[in-house]
Amino acid sequence: MSAIPTSACPKISFRARVQTDPISGKPVLLYPEGVLMLNPTGHAIVSLCDGQATVEELISTLAARYQVATEKISAEVTTYLERLRERNLLELVAKPAEKPS
Amino acid sequence: MKHSAPRPFSLLAEVTHRCPLHCPYCSNPTQLAAAAEELTTDEWRRVLGEAAAMGVLHAGFSGGEPLQRPDLAELIAAARAGGLYTNLITSAIGLTRNRAESLKAAGLDSIQISFQADEPALADGIAGIAGHARKLEAARLVRELGFPLTVNVVLHRGNVDRLEGIIGLAEQLGAERLELANTQYYGWAFRNRAALLPTRAQVTRAIRIASAAKQRLAGCMEVLYVIPDYYSERPKPCMHGWGNRHLTVDPAGNVLPCPTAGEIPGMRFENVRQRSLRWIWGESESFNRFRGTEWMPEPCRSCEFREVDFGGCRCQAALLTGEAGVTDPACSLSPYRDRLTRFVDSIDQKPGLADPFTTVEGELVFRQNPATSRTAD
Repeated sequence: MSAIPTSACPKISFRARVQTDPISGKPVLLYPEGVLMLNPTGHAIVSLCDGQATVEELISTLAARYQVATEKISAEVTTYLERLRERNLLELVAKPAEKPS
Repeated sequence: MKHSAPRPFSLLAEVTHRCPLHCPYCSNPTQLAAAAEELTTDEWRRVLGEAAAMGVLHAGFSGGEPLQRPDLAELIAAARAGGLYTNLITSAIGLTRNRAESLKAAGLDSIQISFQADEPALADGIAGIAGHARKLEAARLVRELGFPLTVNVVLHRGNVDRLEGIIGLAEQLGAERLELANTQYYGWAFRNRAALLPTRAQVTRAIRIASAAKQRLAGCMEVLYVIPDYYSERPKPCMHGWGNRHLTVDPAGNVLPCPTAGEIPGMRFENVRQRSLRWIWGESESFNRFRGTEWMPEPCRSCEFREVDFGGCRCQAALLTGEAGVTDPACSLSPYRDRLTRFVDSIDQKPGLADPFTTVEGELVFRQNPATSRTAD
């Protein structure tokens, strides 16, 4: 599968649902074939996959939030997104056009 | 020997054994639960609530044909109320617009529809009912209503040569996932295995086509294909271990570690009418019988893969050797491996068997229905 372009806006698939696990109190991603327990990093990434922000913007947001350089987390975030996409849990949406001013 | 029970993640609710189809590869037990024995709506509600409280996050509604239960939407609503992700596993026969809309309103999350083939006459021949056209219509309805769609096709000697067409059908229907499910030889399928098992040449070709499709469709449609275990060197990690993640409740309320365990000779399973689901999962003898690794004989006990494949499948071990507690003969290390290879060779050496199973000598037993039918509740 080709790499996810950094200009695409990732969105969690309509097949999947994030909810709180009543046993552990932690976030889980539920989908037709299974369950993915989300660690804090995974949850932070998944929460930003709203179909509005590009991969690039998503990485910047996370870098700012955790006060690290974007280069440090870029590979990790991309790999995580690619794993979601392999399971068909991620849609890629084109960046909505900027409104003309 | 008792273990502290792990947390169950998924429940398969086999709400009925009644089914309008007669597929000869059905993995339901050959002794089907009669309609009169089926759990009531309230009993299912209780079971689903208990499952949610135990940590189950996923409920599959299956059968038989789950749409045969008029209260299906109520059961799905009960599962959703407990926070479960709900998946309907259906033939789609009976999935009318009204029905589909009521399931949507109940909160159903996704739908899996089985197809028997891509070609109508062959599909209807396998199912023993003229249903293919209705299935196509139902699949379109499922997409229209915005449900995620999985297409499941059980593969066997009679349809595996049409794999490209089958993949094309799933693409055409806009499925997000395609399960190319090799027949699992339990229940009715075990009875019919001489007619159903594909040849080695067919399997080799299918692997090539499925891998190419997987690559080509990555990101659009997930294609699942697992090498049939009769042709594999390693056994499947059946249910990820006995009593480890999954439980099945059959139509009559028996609680099983997997959908086919009820057919293991000599094993007794508890029923939700007598015991709580939590007790059955954690305390019952049946769920603890093959839990963990301590039950294992050699060669499993000292095998580096013992927590990878868990010794394979207990039902298959029982069917092929008469003993549920031995290594699955699908493992090349099993002392009973020759029972499987002899059978596979006997299929492979017969000429002409690559044709659909209409040309096969011998009996093909179509799945029957439970003896009595229940009046609509």
